[in-house]
Amino acid sequence: MTVEVDIEKEFYGRKNRKKKGEKPSFSMNCSFDADSDFVVLFGCSGSGKTTALRCIAGLETPGAGTIKINGTVYFDSRKKVNLPPQKRKIGYMFQENALFPHMNVRQNIEFGLKGLSSMEKTDRVNEMLGLVGIEELEFAYPDELSGGQKQKVALARALAPNPEVLLLDEPFSALDTVVRLKLRKELRDIQKRLRIPVIFITHDPVEAFTMADRMAVFEDGRVQQLGTPEDIFYHPKTRYVAELVGFSNLFDNALVEGHGNGAECTFLWSLGTEITAPYIERKAGDRVSWGIRPENIELVDRKNMHIIRQEDRKNLFDGTIMNVVNKGTSRIMSLILKESEDVLKVEVANHVFDSLKIGTGDECMVRLRASDMIVF
Amino acid sequence: MEIFQIIATPLLLTLKISVIATIFVTVLGILISYTLAKREFPGKGLADVMVTMPMVLPPTVTGYILVILLGKNGVIGSIFTKLTGSGILFTWQAAAIAAFVVSLPLMVKTTTAAIGAVDRNVEEASRILGRNEFETALFITLPLAKKGIIAGCVLSFARAVGEFGATLMVAGNIPGKTSTMPLSIYGAYQTGNNELANLLVLILVVISFMTIAATSKLGER
Repeated sequence: MTVEVDIEKEFYGRKNRKKKGEKPSFSMNCSFDADSDFVVLFGCSGSGKTTALRCIAGLETPGAGTIKINGTVYFDSRKKVNLPPQKRKIGYMFQENALFPHMNVRQNIEFGLKGLSSMEKTDRVNEMLGLVGIEELEFAYPDELSGGQKQKVALARALAPNPEVLLLDEPFSALDTVVRLKLRKELRDIQKRLRIPVIFITHDPVEAFTMADRMAVFEDGRVQQLGTPEDIFYHPKTRYVAELVGFSNLFDNALVEGHGNGAECTFLWSLGTEITAPYIERKAGDRVSWGIRPENIELVDRKNMHIIRQEDRKNLFDGTIMNVVNKGTSRIMSLILKESEDVLKVEVANHVFDSLKIGTGDECMVRLRASDMIVF
Repeated sequence: MEIFQIIATPLLLTLKISVIATIFVTVLGILISYTLAKREFPGKGLADVMVTMPMVLPPTVTGYILVILLGKNGVIGSIFTKLTGSGILFTWQAAAIAAFVVSLPLMVKTTTAAIGAVDRNVEEASRILGRNEFETALFITLPLAKKGIIAGCVLSFARAVGEFGATLMVAGNIPGKTSTMPLSIYGAYQTGNNELANLLVLILVVISFMTIAATSKLGER
């Protein structure tokens, strides 16, 4: 699939009516293209993902720009092209199922089938019921279904008219974890079987990472970063993206001191000491930001210092444990650093934490591996 | 047999006027309500006020305005006279128009609220599934607003049956021609015929009761 979206839209206060000289309360200016099967739009609520998806579906009209799916122009403000939603051959799943409450499951799925004989319609509905595995619910009404079943019906309904692309707006966010995991897998399977391209919205990093071929990270109506999930999660390009994908230790204003031989590393002055970080193409004296995930910080047992090789004995920090939160399988400690009094979040597996016999108020030592750090 | 005539004539006249007025109120009311609920256009607020006015105006004022509009030189009256050769005032048609005008606001208020309450996502789902706005309104929005629409119809019908003030002004109280049930009750009471008044009142109460009962049955479906 090829998706090319380049749109602008401005919103003005309530009812979206522009008064003279008023500045827009929200302005969207987003552009992304992808030629993959599973594109995920990722970002916080209010970042413009849903608006972008609604523009692709034709439910909202952008102020300017172009939308092209698989070579078909859906919207082009210059050529005055704006296909109405019913002409856009898309499947759409809403956050809340949006099933027709006055129709049973069969009628819901059949609703989008036009120009078919009643035999063909029946066959197609049966096929869809089988595809999502809800044959026994054929004559049930939406208010008799569970949340997961409703979304299965919504998926079957969206797929029935054989759309060119499937748009999903956080379709699983209202479901409990067990059902959500199951439906994610089923959606992925169905997508692969039908080979239908999907644009999927989520604010859940795990969902984004596990589903996406390609991701677009939204902030404030703009695409901050576009790439594979690995790109986004391991090499975020901005502070916002880094925070979103779990780099909760972020430090700004680090001073570039110089580079290691052969551009293998960069030395930064931050947290009151010299830090060895991955190489970044900046001059000495420049200011940069850097970060590391809490789960990538290593607790060092002082008694075992002699095990660590001499060349690995860098980026070591002493600190005091300020508080500890148990997440179930691991603990998040807030560590106040001795040198700079900055706070470092460290995630430690419970069995490691327990074996070290440490707690709030104790001192400990941590190590930051340069390869786990990001600099931007 | 004469007593049967005395009761049947106003009763049938009232039902004829009310049913015709309600049919027009329903069709036009749905169109107006849909437009008010779904569209933004300049003068929307004014249009809303104009439709609602007869609900708050004293019936005599509504009646007076109708007399001016329906009179031989009035905007509507002159057209009617040209088409039919006779005036519209003091006919049952004038009574039907009065009933229509006073009951339309009840239909519009209830139906606009009901249409506005239909989940927007559900309507959008229909558009995306290939249906245009008209089909979406017909198969999704109106069926989902059914309860409100039925309630609007019933209120309008009840209001049309009970219409008195405006009817008296535009259609008079001509026995056998424009004398509806409420007007007949007033006439009977004025002439001291309490027995007839009691009987007519009882019939109206029964009709009202049946209307409400029928509605709740329809709403359950």
